[in-house]
Amino acid sequence: MIITKSWLHEFIDLSTVSNETLYATFNAIGLEVDSIKEIDIDHNVVVGKILSVEKHPDADKLNVCQIDVGSGTRQIVCGAKNVVDAQYVAVAMIGAVLPENFEIKHAKLRGVESEGMVCASAELGLPSMGKGIMILDESIGTLEAGRALNTYPQIIDTIIELELTANRGDCLSVYGVARDLSAALDIEMRVFEPNREDKVKLGIARVAQLRSEGVLDADLYYKLASIEDITSYFLLSLRLAMVGVEVKGAIESLLAYATHTTGVILRAYDSTAFVNSEDKISIYPCSKDKGIVEVRGHSICTSIVGVNQESSVKAHAGSAKVLLEASYIHPDVLVEAFSQTTFTSDALYYKTSRGSNPDLEFGLLFLGTLLHAYAEFNCYEGSLTVLAKRKNHSVMVDAGEISSIIGMEIELSKIVGILHKLGFKINKMSEATVVVVVPDFRHDIKHVQDISEEIVRIIGINNIKAKPLIFAEKPRLNSVTDRYKAKKALRHRAVGAGFYENVSYVFSDRVLLDKYGFAVTEEALDLANPIAEELNTLRSTLLINLLSAVKRNVSYSIKAIPLFEIGAIFAEKREESEVMSFVFSGQSESESIQNAGKPTAIDFATFTKKVGAVIGNFELEPCTYNYRVLHPYQSANIMIEGKKRGFIAKLHPTVQEAYGIPVTFIAEMDLEVLLPTHINAKPISKFQGVYKDLSIVIEKSLQYYDVAKVLQGLNLDLLKDSYPIDIYVDEALGNQKSLTLRFFIQSMDKTLQESDIDSVMGQIITTLQNKCNATLR
Amino acid sequence: MKELEENIVQAKTLEDLEKVRIELFGKKGVLASEFAKMKDIAGPDKKAFAQGLNKNKVALQASFDAQYEVLKAQEIERVLKSEALDVSLYGTLAQKGALHPVMETMDKIIDYFVALNFAVESGPMVEDDFHNFEALNLPKFHPARDMQDTFYFKDGGLLRTHTSPVQIRTMLQSKPPIRMIAPGTVFRRDFDVTHTPMFHQVEGLVIDAKGKVSFANLKAILIDFLETMFGDVEVRFRPSFFPFTEPSAEVDISCIFCEAKGCRICSHTGWLEVLGCGIVDPNVFKAVGYEDVSGYAFGLGVERFAMLMHKIPDLRSLFEGDIRLLEQFR
Repeated sequence: MIITKSWLHEFIDLSTVSNETLYATFNAIGLEVDSIKEIDIDHNVVVGKILSVEKHPDADKLNVCQIDVGSGTRQIVCGAKNVVDAQYVAVAMIGAVLPENFEIKHAKLRGVESEGMVCASAELGLPSMGKGIMILDESIGTLEAGRALNTYPQIIDTIIELELTANRGDCLSVYGVARDLSAALDIEMRVFEPNREDKVKLGIARVAQLRSEGVLDADLYYKLASIEDITSYFLLSLRLAMVGVEVKGAIESLLAYATHTTGVILRAYDSTAFVNSEDKISIYPCSKDKGIVEVRGHSICTSIVGVNQESSVKAHAGSAKVLLEASYIHPDVLVEAFSQTTFTSDALYYKTSRGSNPDLEFGLLFLGTLLHAYAEFNCYEGSLTVLAKRKNHSVMVDAGEISSIIGMEIELSKIVGILHKLGFKINKMSEATVVVVVPDFRHDIKHVQDISEEIVRIIGINNIKAKPLIFAEKPRLNSVTDRYKAKKALRHRAVGAGFYENVSYVFSDRVLLDKYGFAVTEEALDLANPIAEELNTLRSTLLINLLSAVKRNVSYSIKAIPLFEIGAIFAEKREESEVMSFVFSGQSESESIQNAGKPTAIDFATFTKKVGAVIGNFELEPCTYNYRVLHPYQSANIMIEGKKRGFIAKLHPTVQEAYGIPVTFIAEMDLEVLLPTHINAKPISKFQGVYKDLSIVIEKSLQYYDVAKVLQGLNLDLLKDSYPIDIYVDEALGNQKSLTLRFFIQSMDKTLQESDIDSVMGQIITTLQNKCNATLR
Repeated sequence: MKELEENIVQAKTLEDLEKVRIELFGKKGVLASEFAKMKDIAGPDKKAFAQGLNKNKVALQASFDAQYEVLKAQEIERVLKSEALDVSLYGTLAQKGALHPVMETMDKIIDYFVALNFAVESGPMVEDDFHNFEALNLPKFHPARDMQDTFYFKDGGLLRTHTSPVQIRTMLQSKPPIRMIAPGTVFRRDFDVTHTPMFHQVEGLVIDAKGKVSFANLKAILIDFLETMFGDVEVRFRPSFFPFTEPSAEVDISCIFCEAKGCRICSHTGWLEVLGCGIVDPNVFKAVGYEDVSGYAFGLGVERFAMLMHKIPDLRSLFEGDIRLLEQFR
């Protein structure tokens, strides 16, 4: 909502209010000031009266004007076509400085002397008012040649843009803003004095009729008139330009101006659209569906209240009789009804859907007063109206309740005073209680907390003293808090292990997910209105986003790229779960003195060690995932407590190539298993144990995992631990490889004898020979 | 004797000294052979001889010990010198990563409220109309829904546009009093210099018996919170409108970039908007079946906090995993 200070001044005397106070007040009462423009024009820009205009002898597009500028006559060359229509214009005299430090100097244009410039509005820092120069008229006050333009308060105005919240339809007009200011600044509103003269001494009912059908949710108010000779109206055009309202035609401009001023929805019709077979103007509003009120004329729906108007029925310069309409429909009713239709709405819908001014008579009187001033306006006596049945909403207001909501003692008299100024009617009930009747224009006020908000706005939140809340405490450490803390610990560990935390959108590319074999949200459950093609579905892995991040970092010449992310993913039916993912691309560490500037590329072992430093112990088994981003021979299932919880792998070289990134390793695992679980300590042996190494020769294709499974199957009490320590291949071994294992043997209840150790090793060797076809080396 | 002492002092290395020790104190050393002479000395001379010998032994031992100390110290110094490193070469070897500034800011916010005994609550990102709008006093077709451009799914589900549905879920699952925050990821269908389709919010809710929780209480906690986060700032409350609170306010802090003098970042107002808050609207309580309660709620955007606190110029850069940005937060 844009307003200007001088426009407000028509309804509330702001002569003693500084701009600073005005801005602070707007902010304090919840009408947030979005931008401010204070117009300033050099005092050397004056009113000029055009005495004559002649064509430039040497240039088709130029005119040579003789202009009275008060102190004498100046010859000025002007390029604007519309100068021929002008009587009074703004003249920048020699020495005037216009915006962007443009100084007016004596000039010679194609041989003709020019002593100044005739200005267009934009050249003076005013909003653009269309092509050509600005033509002044007496709507801004008496025009005298030579009078400085900056002595006209309506020109050097202050333009204020307010950011209104959706509930404040009542402030979508200059009048409504003035009313709110009046309560806040404690300045009485000026009394509006309308020109009520109806020049046609004939009642409207003699020539027009209004009959309705169905239960109407709208109020309608009609006047009939003839409108001729609308004079130009500089102030109106200037102000509409200042507030950014664009309309075409004199009648439309007047309607828009009156609506912006009063907040009442005003329309004008060519009356012929309503003339029936008996030659009478017949207005026929009817409603079939709740909230949709059609205003029918003769065989045509001329408008839908609050929504639009048929363009062919709009009043125009040639209309003999004009039907003026003011309308109101409750926004809640309208918005709900409108959303179920396919109608297109016009610019006024913004106001009607947020609550226009229900004071229809005020709107039409204001419009009539304008028409009297700027047109030959002959109006029929009386009006035709139809009013919807609406009950005024009332709220019981208890000073104690309001005080407790606000947290500060506020007396009833103070509450009543504020509400009265805001237009509420007050009925006293008891010492501490009143019933207030909410004015029609405040459809947003429904209960006592809404009333509290009005009180808070006007007394000012900054005048409420902050008070700590005394709360009956009980500990609130719940499972979600624990989960948050565990996640935080994991993130810190990842940082300690050298990874950077990534945050990416939970969106992904459906095609890409599918291409790489990841889950895709079922078509019927997928996003209906994605924001971009590559973000058109929910992600089912974090890896695609992490790889994109790697790609960006590669383009920034980063050589070692370790990233992790903890985030939500979604399965086919949009089941949400959290995973932790890692990616490591390029060099395994930064270039340094230690590696002579040539760090090795990240490899499976280094990556696994780093991931392990974050997530703790896990085992690796041959990979059973089928994602096409995984290297088939360097990928593994991450096993935690015997269950498959994720994968760790080298990125498939074709994917690596597609992304244009160096050697990359990836891992993704279920977050749930990474969260801490309860641990019971196992007994520790007091007796010495021994380490034994064993080298066996097995088939190359046999993985350590197969050997480990066999050893595990042995279930030997004394065998506490076993792990691989060396792998050796050479030509002599052919299709076989040598694997060296280390065993730790220990008893819980005695010192081991040589025979115990031999027995364990014997069983191990026999089993490996039998089940793994192993030979001793 | 003089000569013997001279041998000790002349030893220049521990090895030399060891040779001297064997010569002097060894089994076949000078002292041993002197002591051996005792058996040939008879009577009264024997005692005097023994005393003289012992005195010399003690003196020699003392010289030896002193010289050993000196040489040992020299030896250690030599070894240390041989191990000298240009330590300044290794200062850049640390390999720590970094938390994401938004997540780290979120941690700070959560930690503040957890320290005040707020519970942390969570909820799903894919929501329904009831939890995201209807129960929050945002009926269908409410103009305030314009404020929130929503991602919808083909079956009518939606991505939550704020963390407020978590409040509704918590209220439906538990009984007052409630003291909770809901940190989380939220979505709006908007993508430009100052908007990303996904961002993070932290929302707070406090509910107690009717008449207990007031706007003054809300002011108290938010002023303290903002001073904790931003340091010495002025806090300003402006009336505003949110469908789920009444009265509602927006909260500004004095601009931390220009000390409230007015700059580009605060649009020359001297104030930065950082929070929305208010007293919970009765219609919200009605939707979850609460009676005779009062409460306040507040919500904030974590990205905005992070950008202000760390002077990060570009919102979109936060979602690109750019290590050049992240490594600054090591």
